[in-house]
Amino acid sequence: MADTGADQLDDTIVSEPLDLVRLSLNERVFVKLKGDREIRGRLHAYDSHCNLVLSDVEETVYVMDDEEADLKTIKKQSEMLFVRGDAVVLISPPTQS
Amino acid sequence: MATSQLLPLELVDKCVGSRIWVVMKTDREFSGTLLGFDDFVNMVLEDVTEYDNLGNQTHLEKILLNGNNICMLIPGGEPGGEAGSE
Amino acid sequence: MNNGTAESPFSPSAEKSETLSNNPSAFLSQITGAKVAVKLNSGVEYRGDLQCVDGYMNIALEQTEEYVDGVLKNQYGDVFIRGNNVLYISSI
Repeated sequence: MADTGADQLDDTIVSEPLDLVRLSLNERVFVKLKGDREIRGRLHAYDSHCNLVLSDVEETVYVMDDEEADLKTIKKQSEMLFVRGDAVVLISPPTQS
Repeated sequence: MATSQLLPLELVDKCVGSRIWVVMKTDREFSGTLLGFDDFVNMVLEDVTEYDNLGNQTHLEKILLNGNNICMLIPGGEPGGEAGSE
Repeated sequence: MNNGTAESPFSPSAEKSETLSNNPSAFLSQITGAKVAVKLNSGVEYRGDLQCVDGYMNIALEQTEEYVDGVLKNQYGDVFIRGNNVLYISSI
């Protein structure tokens, strides 16, 4: 909750990188993870390790099919999930991306 | 009493302003002029050549190299041969 | 200022680094707001306007393009990059 100190902080100013994540709270975000995984979902919570809690999640896993040498995509849906921060590569608010 | 032992970071400090060869933990190397560094041995390098695992070379004007994945620093060295200058 | 020998003999306060303003934090303030390339350990490269960097080398970029093997693969408005993945930040 915004106390007076937080009020002074212009909500749109990004003075440290994690502010970008803070500004994405309750928005749908795109998260790139290690191991060729991508996640889109609504960001509920995060911490300084980039541990994340997301809801209405679509996870995409890219796998090389050895036999056909194709790039296959596997999609999974989850209502709610927790992402351990060390798997996170990138977080982006999904504005036209 | 001062010892003559050279601390590792003192060696790095002596390299400031001169060419340096950086070997990463992964199969990647950099050579460039060392402009500065910090306690984590994050380094600012100028006139850099990046050598990747496939032998490709990329020239970079000026970079901040993350110290986390550095394996080895070689003062004055260049990948693929000894630096010839005296 | 204290005598400073105990804590960090190689801190930015060393005259050499100061005058050349070439220690990592000085370099970062030089390039903040400018267009940069961020290369990750995976080899993926992000090009965009550098908003800020923190002590973990977490990075915020604006108007970001993602290059895989030198080929433009994606564009993002804003991007947060977790610092442990960063290989280097380059001015371009």
